[in-house]
Amino acid sequence: MNRLRIWCLTPAGALLGGLFLIPLGITLAYSLMTRGPYGGVFSPFTWENYSRLADPLYAAILWRSALYAVTATTICLFMGFPLALFIARSGRRRNLYLSLVIVPFWTSFLVRTYAWMFLLRDTGLINSMLLAAGVIHQPLTLLYTPFAVILGLVYGYLPFMVLPIFATLERLDKSLVEASADLGAAPRATLRHVIIPLARPGIMAGSILVFISSLGAYLTPDLLGGGKTIMIGNLVQNQFTSARDWPFGAALSLILMLVVMGMLLPLRRQSGGML
Amino acid sequence: MRRRAFLLSLAGLGCSRSKDRRLNVLNWSEYVAPETIPDFEREFGVKVRYGVYESAEEMLARVMSGNSGWDVVFPPNYFIRPMVELGLLAPLDHSQLPGAGVLDPRFQSPPWDVGLRYAIPYMWGATGILYQSTLDPAPQAWADLWKPSFSGRITMLDDPAEVIGACLKKLGYALNSEDSLQLSRAQAEAERQKPMLRAYVNEIVRDQLVAGELLAAQVWRSTAMRAMEAADGKLRFVYPREGYPLYADNIAILRESKRTRLAHSFINYLMRPAVAARIALTKLESTCNAPARALLPASMRNNVTLYPPEETLARGEWFQPLSANAQRLRDRIWTAIKSA
Amino acid sequence: MRNSRWLPVYAAALYGFLHLPLAVLAVFSFNSSRFTRWEGFSFIWYKAAFADAQLAEATVNSLLIALSATLLAAAAGTLCAYGLWKRDSPWITASLYLSLVTPEIVMGISLLALYQWIFRYLAIQLGMHTVILAHVMFCTAYVVTVVSARLRSFDASLEEAAMDLGATEWQAFVRVTLPRLAPAVASAALLVFIVSFDDYVITSLVAGVDSETLPMVIYAMARKGFNPSVNAISTLIVVALGGLILVSNRIEGREAER
Repeated sequence: MNRLRIWCLTPAGALLGGLFLIPLGITLAYSLMTRGPYGGVFSPFTWENYSRLADPLYAAILWRSALYAVTATTICLFMGFPLALFIARSGRRRNLYLSLVIVPFWTSFLVRTYAWMFLLRDTGLINSMLLAAGVIHQPLTLLYTPFAVILGLVYGYLPFMVLPIFATLERLDKSLVEASADLGAAPRATLRHVIIPLARPGIMAGSILVFISSLGAYLTPDLLGGGKTIMIGNLVQNQFTSARDWPFGAALSLILMLVVMGMLLPLRRQSGGML
Repeated sequence: MRRRAFLLSLAGLGCSRSKDRRLNVLNWSEYVAPETIPDFEREFGVKVRYGVYESAEEMLARVMSGNSGWDVVFPPNYFIRPMVELGLLAPLDHSQLPGAGVLDPRFQSPPWDVGLRYAIPYMWGATGILYQSTLDPAPQAWADLWKPSFSGRITMLDDPAEVIGACLKKLGYALNSEDSLQLSRAQAEAERQKPMLRAYVNEIVRDQLVAGELLAAQVWRSTAMRAMEAADGKLRFVYPREGYPLYADNIAILRESKRTRLAHSFINYLMRPAVAARIALTKLESTCNAPARALLPASMRNNVTLYPPEETLARGEWFQPLSANAQRLRDRIWTAIKSA
Repeated sequence: MRNSRWLPVYAAALYGFLHLPLAVLAVFSFNSSRFTRWEGFSFIWYKAAFADAQLAEATVNSLLIALSATLLAAAAGTLCAYGLWKRDSPWITASLYLSLVTPEIVMGISLLALYQWIFRYLAIQLGMHTVILAHVMFCTAYVVTVVSARLRSFDASLEEAAMDLGATEWQAFVRVTLPRLAPAVASAALLVFIVSFDDYVITSLVAGVDSETLPMVIYAMARKGFNPSVNAISTLIVVALGGLILVSNRIEGREAER
């Protein structure tokens, strides 16, 4: 029993140890060092990068990012669950329908984002059509708004929600659903009391993937939000690029990771150990 | 069997590649003419690997280790000193660079690299305002980008040095100011302007200006040139009255390079007036090469946006490397502006 | 179990939402102008895309990287999920979680630091191998997440029954559990293929001289705005890979009928 388990865990363990934990250790070391006069990382060791985080400015940014991420995750869930259910119930066509969810994501993220910019612009497709139909007389400001950011996040991460939910619904025990129906439960009650509880691990997995990805997003707020809001991902990115302050960037990301872990652990316990 | 053949062919691919005589050039994307590299390969019988980066910081991160494999890079002027201090650049051997005399007098011994010890100036650019030519009065100064009548139809660049720089110039301060009082005044200006802005965006603003969705924008001159080319006279560019930023990209050889001879030949090749003129022509940028400029068609050679007169140039100020403290302060300010 | 009446309508609307930007891309890849006004039908952007040798090489690199990373990560991730299902390992679970919550840029920079540090002593340079390793690493956590979600609804008694009937634990895994896991592994593989194929941040940092990928090239082209050449490539990729999926679906369907 144990031998097989150890063999199973070895490849992933080696990957994680060598290519994730050791580099993470390097990041931890960076976060305790000082920025060189021209970028780069130098000793002496210091706590200063962490004490700088006491600035309320950074807490406000974290809070705003969490708000965006929660909104995007909720919308993804309401869009993704029915879609996953539809695919799971499509019989022989299910592979085709599943692929159709994936297909748009073979184009580069950047290109897809530009396509949305093209749709949302003042002279874009949506505004032109509404103007032509006489619904509006002035173009609506759609691009460079919080709405556009949420739209971009939802669009970008919807498959992260659909795929895990589908993976749990896909082999849902049909007899349970039928039994529920036989016992006179309305479809709605079956959904609530049978299907959703059974799909819970997938819902948790999907929500976690979407939440984490949205929280760290930095291109979407830049391109669709017009850079007028800053999310935590932009802040981290800026430290490694324009500010050239790797130690502060490292401290910032470690704190971010701790906060996310802190939020996820209760969820994880609630779902009975998802991973 | 088939799998082994596949693996062998993969291995073969790797070997045959590394045996060629070659030069690895890391540059901004689309920063040479289409025929520049193929012509060089043909003439010198070598292969050139042309890699691209999208920001100078990305370039620095990729070559920082000193074992990146690249030979030639194109750092902006304010990166030369940091890169020299970090020990990344090899000193140039001027006996192998007979062509260096062609540089415009302004670039013979620039302030960021006196005596051209580490890098050869390549092309230079600036930041200014691009606006719809129907605007009356036309914007002439950074201060015009604070006009309430433009509200919602202007943009600034998504770049801390540019936005803070424009605010500093508006207030009459130096572009590279490290003074905390001046910087906090600049922050207040930027925060006052933010509600009037459509967005902070870079090159993609071009299309929106051409389509007439915006009235005016802070832009890099290279973006402006392309937009004006596409808009048939509907757009105009101005070097703001209060002063504006200047920057230059330079050709440099990395210290780690083992192909310095070939790298010098490559620099010489890029300095040939005919080659430099072709690059300047296709990229719509200002060359640092005097005879190359003379080879350009008159419409470009005398273009006042690309080659402004002395009195306009005198208002420009070169970006400089900042101290660690100033950079940290500016990042805090930029973060505050963005989350205001 | 049938779909109710409103579910297909809702699904159709969602598919519309998902494919709308794609349709726009496809239409404008045939535009004769560089800008976003429609100015007539033409193939110029396809000609431009085909003439670009750098683009072709980057596409091959990207496919090679995404395929190898997907295969390796699917294998490592499925085994790991199975091992964790048998008995949880707090260390591995925690590291998986951490790797999921690590911002991409941090992963990229710290991997770069590691590579640079090791390779300086070994005199190796960055290249395809470093990119593939990095991709396998960040893809594995996704596979474990998706496959574990599926395993949670599994009944351990089936394997026990198989072992009572004389199967070794390895046989029980391969013959009993793995076949039932296949759909979850497939959907995890689809997910990580797109994650790997689309990755820019980590790749651009750990890529060396000969490992330019498609997102890197596209990023360089697209940053400057709407670029019809990029649209042309994107359309071609979608049509090619979409066609492949349709064909494989056909074959599967035919086999199922037999």
